[in-house]
Amino acid sequence: MGTGRPEELGDETLVTLAQKGEHKAFEELVERYKQKAYRIAFDFTRDREEAKDLSQEAFLRAFTHLNGFDQRASFYTWFYRILVNLCLDYRRRGQRVSWQPFEEHDGKTAEKNEIANPGPSPDREAMSGEISRKIGAALNSLPPKQRTAFVLKNHEGLSIREIAKIMQTAEGTVKTHIHRAVLALRQSLAELV
Amino acid sequence: MTDMSSIQKACKNYEQDLVLHYYGESSPEERERIQAHLQGCPSCSRFLDELRTVLPLTVKADEPPESFWESYSRELRQRLMTAREKNAWWEGIFSFLRPWAVPTLATAVVLILAVTLTLTRGTWHTRDLPPKEEALLEVLPIAENLEFYTSMDFLDSLDLLEDMGGADSGSA
Ligand SMILES: [Zn+2]
Repeated sequence: MGTGRPEELGDETLVTLAQKGEHKAFEELVERYKQKAYRIAFDFTRDREEAKDLSQEAFLRAFTHLNGFDQRASFYTWFYRILVNLCLDYRRRGQRVSWQPFEEHDGKTAEKNEIANPGPSPDREAMSGEISRKIGAALNSLPPKQRTAFVLKNHEGLSIREIAKIMQTAEGTVKTHIHRAVLALRQSLAELV
Repeated sequence: MTDMSSIQKACKNYEQDLVLHYYGESSPEERERIQAHLQGCPSCSRFLDELRTVLPLTVKADEPPESFWESYSRELRQRLMTAREKNAWWEGIFSFLRPWAVPTLATAVVLILAVTLTLTRGTWHTRDLPPKEEALLEVLPIAENLEFYTSMDFLDSLDLLEDMGGADSGSA
């Protein structure tokens, strides 16, 4: 890779080198973004294996379509967009078979599930498991754009500007998505306050 | 059971500002305006306190061990290698189908179609278009597909963010 050690090069240079067929350059991009990519996928799936698989798949898609990436956006903006699309697609596929919406905000779904899964005595661990499940369901019930904007802000701490670039939308729209997501989550999770 | 009445309401025209303020996304002037309002408005203060309680709960922490990351990289390298091999195969095919080859391909398709139609039906009606142009219209989508595979931005075709946009109205 003539121009220096991969870990010292900027994303832009690594992308250019990778586009020329330098395998090590793309592997460096993987090393640089794998933890963030995994974390975003985990934010969406809340499942370790699924998060690993989805984030790896995002790298594969990025690799396969790298020659179509013209670097007008930064690599991570482009890559995160691929990743988020995959996560939303995963969620959509998941919904068809097993997704249980946390609907109506009246606890009916939660009650039904409690009857279906009586489980062990309600010790601390079971309680925290139940809370985690409710939170996961509340996040799942958000519309895709709201969830994306919310997760990237609340979980990942990206700026509104960065989120707008990833979602290819106006900053004002991102603010609206986050605002609506927060209100919906407050309603769903009011009992936890 | 969620008690709707227990949800703290903020002043409508401050609600979004308070959410953005919570995330540190307000300008210095906005921050000043919000702080001044909060001092005289217990509802908005409680709303902000609630955000501070609820929102951190929505993050599920996950710290995979070092061994996880080692196998992550190893697996991904393997998957990338397989993808490279597949890519090399496709590149071989596409190098044959360069843009200059499309008209040639079109002509070939026309000839094949013409011969097939002549042999099977015994007639060949040109109607308004000469055979070559007529067939090019058929070939064009194929040419576009070639372009799609070689240079597309994946997201242009899998833009679920847009596809699923309709769902937004539900909770507006
Ligand atoms: Zn107020």
